[in-house]
Amino acid sequence: MTLPRWPIVGRRPELEVFERALGSGERAGLAIYGRAGVGKTRLADECAGQAAASGHPTERVAGSRTTALLPLGAVVALLPDGPGQLGSDGQVNTVALFEQARQALHDRHRGRRLVTVADDMAQIDPASLALLGYLAARRAIFLVATVRTGEPVPDLLTDLWRDGRLERIDLHDLSRAHVDTLLHLALGGPIEAGAGQEFWAASRGNPLYLRELVLGALQSGALVDRSGVWHLEDPLPATSRLLDLVEQRIGGLPPEARSVVELLALCQPVELSYLETAAPPGVLELLERAGLVTITVDDGQVRLAHPLHAKVVRAGMPRLRVRAVLLAQAERLAAASPAPSPAELRIAVWRLDAGGRPDPAVLIRGAHLARSAHDFRTVRRLMEAVPSGQLDAVGALLLGEALYELGAFDESERVLALGQDLPSSEQIALQLAVTRAKNAQWGLCQPEKALAINAAARAVVTSAPLAEELVADEASVLTFSGHPDRALVVLGRTAGGGRRTRVVRAIAGAVALAAAGRTAEAVALAQAGYADHVALGDEPGIAHPAMHVVNQVFALAEAGRLAEAEQVARAGAEIVAAQRVPIAQIWFAVNFGRVAILQGRVVTARRFYAEAAGLCQSSRFAGSRRVALSGLALAHAMLGETDPVTRALVERAAAPAFGFLGPEQRLADGWAASAARQPAEAAEALRSAAADAASTGYRVTESWLLHDLMRTGGEDVSGRLRELADECDSPLVSARARHAAAAQARDAGELTGAADDFEALGAMLLAAEAAGEAAAASSRAGDRRAAAASLRRSSALAAACEGAATPGLFHLATVNASPAAPLSGREREIVLLAVTGMASKDIAERLYLSVRTVNNHLQHAYAKLGVTSRAALAQALGSAI
Amino acid sequence: MTPEQIILVQSSFERLGPDLPAMTALFYQELFQRDPSLRPLFTTEMGEQRVKFAQKLTEIVQTMPRLGELLTHTRALGARHAGYGVRAADYRTVGDSLIAALAGVLGEEFDTATREAWELAFNIVAETMLEGAAAARPISS
Repeated sequence: MTLPRWPIVGRRPELEVFERALGSGERAGLAIYGRAGVGKTRLADECAGQAAASGHPTERVAGSRTTALLPLGAVVALLPDGPGQLGSDGQVNTVALFEQARQALHDRHRGRRLVTVADDMAQIDPASLALLGYLAARRAIFLVATVRTGEPVPDLLTDLWRDGRLERIDLHDLSRAHVDTLLHLALGGPIEAGAGQEFWAASRGNPLYLRELVLGALQSGALVDRSGVWHLEDPLPATSRLLDLVEQRIGGLPPEARSVVELLALCQPVELSYLETAAPPGVLELLERAGLVTITVDDGQVRLAHPLHAKVVRAGMPRLRVRAVLLAQAERLAAASPAPSPAELRIAVWRLDAGGRPDPAVLIRGAHLARSAHDFRTVRRLMEAVPSGQLDAVGALLLGEALYELGAFDESERVLALGQDLPSSEQIALQLAVTRAKNAQWGLCQPEKALAINAAARAVVTSAPLAEELVADEASVLTFSGHPDRALVVLGRTAGGGRRTRVVRAIAGAVALAAAGRTAEAVALAQAGYADHVALGDEPGIAHPAMHVVNQVFALAEAGRLAEAEQVARAGAEIVAAQRVPIAQIWFAVNFGRVAILQGRVVTARRFYAEAAGLCQSSRFAGSRRVALSGLALAHAMLGETDPVTRALVERAAAPAFGFLGPEQRLADGWAASAARQPAEAAEALRSAAADAASTGYRVTESWLLHDLMRTGGEDVSGRLRELADECDSPLVSARARHAAAAQARDAGELTGAADDFEALGAMLLAAEAAGEAAAASSRAGDRRAAAASLRRSSALAAACEGAATPGLFHLATVNASPAAPLSGREREIVLLAVTGMASKDIAERLYLSVRTVNNHLQHAYAKLGVTSRAALAQALGSAI
Repeated sequence: MTPEQIILVQSSFERLGPDLPAMTALFYQELFQRDPSLRPLFTTEMGEQRVKFAQKLTEIVQTMPRLGELLTHTRALGARHAGYGVRAADYRTVGDSLIAALAGVLGEEFDTATREAWELAFNIVAETMLEGAAAARPISS
């Protein structure tokens, strides 16, 4: 696989140095210094490319092991007649030969300097260097030389430098921003935060390593494009080309230094005090001087300077050597730090890596340490190494939870079920049950199984607080399988219990309350739950603390507090992206999407839902993916993008049924049918979904579905919406009811009031639609002035909706007299302002356009509408509304 | 960029709303304060210049999620700026001034994450403009 392009990034100032040097005439050349892989050759070639583009002749010479043996071997290209003839004294007359070469170049290029890239000066033979120096000094060539840091600098360059005729560039690794820029341009789109971080951590800004890492990850399928966002789904592979590159860097080390590098590659960081006694004197200094190791003074630890070196050295070491080093280090560390100690995790991993069979007790203690760092991969490795006969209930809990977190849901179910059969404390038995139920619910997408697991656990539990927690957990399964009403009934049975129970209750309750339209209680409960959870700490069997924040966003959206919802979501999403908690990342993205849909920012919604769908795929949450794909189809449909709607719905059909937000998922079906101009199907989908919402307790969703039934099909839903508004404390539900009643009565004043309500909530699309209907109502009542004002308002509000194409905005589209040549968005916007009597100059100011552009747009619109004046335009529009 | 960063850039820009002209004015103030030698590069009347800048910035922010479209804009824009004599170092000054102007107008809302997102977005725009500039500018010798 090749990349479409690998642009040169972060090197423009250097390229300008080259341009100036070449243009000035005073300089004879440019020397580029830097470490291996920093991009010297790439920069030199780019210099030549730019020179060639401006009409300069260019040439490239490079040394190699073979040409180094042959005098003038590297520069044959610069010699018109080959390396010359032997003179009568049996020698080559170099002065004559050089002058001949100069003359020939001068003639061939008509006096223009030949821009000559001399790559890797250390490999070029002395005679060739002499010729290059001769030609550069006499303006026959402009030299672009690359020199690797630490290698001898040829006299030719020092001479030119001393005479002030050489420009010099020291090239350094790329900054984080440049690495991110390079990734964005090379991959052609955004990358998920964690993946970007891994490329940065592994490459540390070395462009060559970065390129190999990206290519390797694309080739191995670790780096994949999911709905327009790049995700890293497996660890970065060490390709043979990378092995080669790193070997070039450390290949020449003496054996003692090499062993230190190998030791660090396997076991870093290692204490300086130990290395000072273990390695011969001078070795560490050598490595530090070569830039291969770094020593942190404050903690006295030594590490390899480049993380990639560790990876590659490890991959290139013989198996037996790895084993010997790891076992020796495990012995040493075990002797120095008696158990239990934090070193046990490292010891256990080393012994495992060495192919040994560590003491299961050590493995389990190591797994606990890894769990506390949320390192589920290591937990899985350590626990899978415990012989199955020796796995106890606690071990099964650790392993089962790690398997769930890593998306191995079937294996998780097997291990947790096994764990439930092992003897354990009641506390552990409970955690096994709730973790297994969580896996059944979110992973396997089998809520009945989750409820059965919960019921079985409740049947045997004896401790009252634990029983309370199981009840709360039952409510959680109900909430997240699409039964907020039943969840609230169950929650009504529980009040006591400790902090842990309160936390579980808050997770289930906040969402169920919000869905039921008790949004104020819901927001408060989510906030209290978060505070309790932070005080409780991270415990197995409960969702991540960030899920309370997700729930708060959901509740704020149901309350119509859209700006707040967006703000809270942003703060929360940043935290979980940094910590890489997939389930929370998914649900932040979904909730971002929901909020954006409600705000009318449909393109933004589309992007968030697509991101959520991608995250679900890489973390294997198939049920959550169904919700994300429904949102994606909804956003596409509201944009009138019919083919992508179908694609999203086909993809969704492959996902298992998922009850959570079930009725809301069917907004997608309704809007898809509406976008496909199948009003009967649209109405049927929305009506039946609203009935399901009513029967499961999704009151706010029911109002959404009914309201959309009106928006897409004009159906009278005002009666039921009024009831819902009375039952819910959400101004969003009330605004929907007001809108429906006003639309039914064709009451311009009330429609304007509904638009005001929606606009105050930040629901711009709904406000635009209501204002448009107000315009139509005023027009019917003969109030042209009010009609024009409402129309203008509707148009301004619609401008915030990122191109939404809902039936409610068709009144704006009807301005398009001829469907063959519809007005562009900009034309429509200008026409709607012009018709109110606004002067072109004022329109220009308002839209940040020039007056000429405004007039151009108007002329185009006139042509399309077949009118010739503003007055005629107003008439054409008057009939349209 | 991450998808979140793209959204951050777009939503913070949207929040400028009616303050966009104020931000633009502040930007030029910052720019000329940082480097008065840039002043003569602007031959257009400043009021019109500000409107043009706001318009271009809006276009760029809107096309941020669609790289192909963005590149068409930025490369052409870079080629034009090469003709005005703008250099890589000037882009830094422009970037710093833009960030300062955004921070000035958005206040506390311009938090660290938003700043980082803008810095990266600007870097992408600057790099691709410079790419367009390099293709357009012959080296004289």
